[in-house]
Amino acid sequence: MADESVTAPVSNDQDTAVAAAEEMKLLGYAVQELPAHAVKDLIAQEVCVRCIFRLFSIHEGIYALLPPPILYSIIEKTKKVEDVSTKSTEDTENVNSLQSSQDSEMKSSICSVCVGVLQFHYHNENDNLVRKDHAEDFAMAVAESVKEKGHEIASFTLEVSLPTLITENEQMILSYIKENYASEVWFQEKFSSEHISVKDALKLSMTNPLEKLLGVKSGDSEFRIRLTFEHVDSTSAENKAGKNQGNKRIKSGISITGEDNGLVKCTNGTIQSGDVSDLKVVQPCHMTLVCSRSPIFIGGRYLKFSRNVSQTRWIIDDERKGEASVEELIGGNILPMCNGDGYKFHAAGREDIDVRMLGSGRPFLLEIQNACHVPSEASIKEMEMKINSMESNLVRVRHLKVLGNQGWSLMREGEAEKQKQYAALVWISRPIKDDDLETISSFKDLKVLQRTPVRVLHRRSPLDREKTIHWMKIEEIAGSCQYFLLHLCTQAGTYIKEFVHGDLGRTTPSIGSILGCRAEILQLDVTDVKMDTLTE
Amino acid sequence: MTTLNADSTADHELQVPVAVKDNSAAIDGEGDDGEKELHDLLFPNVNDLPLSPPSAIEFNFVTYFAPDFMKPEHDQYIYRHANGLCVIGLASGHVAFKDEGGVTSVDFNVGKSNRSEIKVTGKRKRNAQHFESNTALCKVCTNNAFYIVRCCVKGSLLEVNERLIKHPELLNSSADREGYIAILMPKPTDWLKAKDSFITLEEYKKLRNI
Repeated sequence: MADESVTAPVSNDQDTAVAAAEEMKLLGYAVQELPAHAVKDLIAQEVCVRCIFRLFSIHEGIYALLPPPILYSIIEKTKKVEDVSTKSTEDTENVNSLQSSQDSEMKSSICSVCVGVLQFHYHNENDNLVRKDHAEDFAMAVAESVKEKGHEIASFTLEVSLPTLITENEQMILSYIKENYASEVWFQEKFSSEHISVKDALKLSMTNPLEKLLGVKSGDSEFRIRLTFEHVDSTSAENKAGKNQGNKRIKSGISITGEDNGLVKCTNGTIQSGDVSDLKVVQPCHMTLVCSRSPIFIGGRYLKFSRNVSQTRWIIDDERKGEASVEELIGGNILPMCNGDGYKFHAAGREDIDVRMLGSGRPFLLEIQNACHVPSEASIKEMEMKINSMESNLVRVRHLKVLGNQGWSLMREGEAEKQKQYAALVWISRPIKDDDLETISSFKDLKVLQRTPVRVLHRRSPLDREKTIHWMKIEEIAGSCQYFLLHLCTQAGTYIKEFVHGDLGRTTPSIGSILGCRAEILQLDVTDVKMDTLTE
Repeated sequence: MTTLNADSTADHELQVPVAVKDNSAAIDGEGDDGEKELHDLLFPNVNDLPLSPPSAIEFNFVTYFAPDFMKPEHDQYIYRHANGLCVIGLASGHVAFKDEGGVTSVDFNVGKSNRSEIKVTGKRKRNAQHFESNTALCKVCTNNAFYIVRCCVKGSLLEVNERLIKHPELLNSSADREGYIAILMPKPTDWLKAKDSFITLEEYKKLRNI
């Protein structure tokens, strides 16, 4: 049983005691303005006191510091004053019902509108029933959970998610009040204006305490604290509807029918019309707290020196293809440094597993999810050196740095428009002639029609793609008359291998068709991915 | 794409770290030194280069033969890619090549439809017709006669080589490459069933005394 005394809550902090006393005074004034009988009626309908305040748009202190019994006593005081002045026989009855509903509040019945949310009654993650007296206590519990997760934060955004049941309940109680009190004098003034929603009331009461406890300001932040309230029973509303018999049932959300005078209350998502005494005790909500930081982006360029390393993790039938992947080599090193939940690797284009990535490197973006720690410039430089000095020397990174959301636009820029430069080791079926070098060099912006290569035809659309070879150059290899190095600069999306060997004649022209012989490609290296950005 | 033989690849990999560690700035491709180092990386060791490297077909496909498919001397090849697609064509021992003048024309209008007119679209390969192994793909004509070319394996027809319509001589010059007939996509189970009836290149050579 809670203490019925009317003193302010005991608190270590002098300021809090003073603030609480102040709140009580302000509330007292505001409550005096309220219509007593309407308030009593709502109490009888099991509407919690904070809901009553917010329905009447009382903002004062958003009653964050005072526990329910104190709040009730404030109402009680004003009620007693009213009762004395009206002196009707009904009043004694009402006083009694006020007492009994006070008692039932002591028994902690759940509010018929906010289902315990503003009463800080909820089931936590372990399914234990938690009861806090006021917003500050609740904020303490929340702040503790947040600190446990270990994020380094500079600000936060508080998000609250409530079950639809509460919206339905709100509609119901508003209709009820309108129906019964619309004709009264105070209705237009006190009730028609916008009410404070349960969500706003909760957020407003929590924000200041949380700011104090976490030591940072709230606002538009990358760090989100999300409180999700779920009502267990309302999800199985349809099931319950079938089970209940005897009472008239309408599916939730439909308005009250005229002939029912008694209380209409929303329980378990269905409306039951009947007497006040029919009320069942509803279960409080289940609350989960999730906090996360929006993803951070670390970008740069990578080089790949191995012909046995794929760009992304490649596993078929439980077997890995290649000995490693670029994404794991980079992501696997950076993720622990940020202490995040996971990473996503994005690159501006890709190369085959057996193609090396040389020259200035290929731009990439590593998205780190829910990082606890945002690395400093110094630690990023250290990480770059660490990756580049790995024994295996499969991959290197350059210009590694933390980027904001602009990282995305940089990636998009790189993919479709830019040109790529390659060096291919080519063999032809006859010795090279001097004419060949000239012939090849003479082509500028050569248009090539490529049918979807057979090697990817199983997973790509059969299409004819026109691509441009901007320039080509043959570099002879001393000691060989049939092998040469072919340098070429092409449009993004060109299949180089198929351009060399012709892919059974499905790529025209090809090196073979241009030189009038059979041509094969032995090795391919990407020597440059032209992009204006991501360089220092 | 073919690669240098295994040994040379291993050597090549060993070479890389040496070059890289000596001059890490160089690998960035920056400056004159960088250009030179990049150049060194690109150039192969001439001694490692095979005289005649495996062709793209040898490297990317497994070659099967279906000799005397439904009729004597109607030899066809099937190149099967690791991704499951099969390229169908006329093997060198096909009777059509024995006729004077070789192949003179190719007609895809056989059976119920003109095979060169189907349009297969999308990743899911809609509109692809499902054919049985004995379904006709095209008619190959010589001066003396015509011969029916069949699928050899049950599957969806993705593409026919319509270049053969205007250039039937491709079959005479390179039936094993640019003169392929069609590309089919069999289901894995259908392939496994058909595979056993095919023979390898070695066996085919022996069979036809090539």
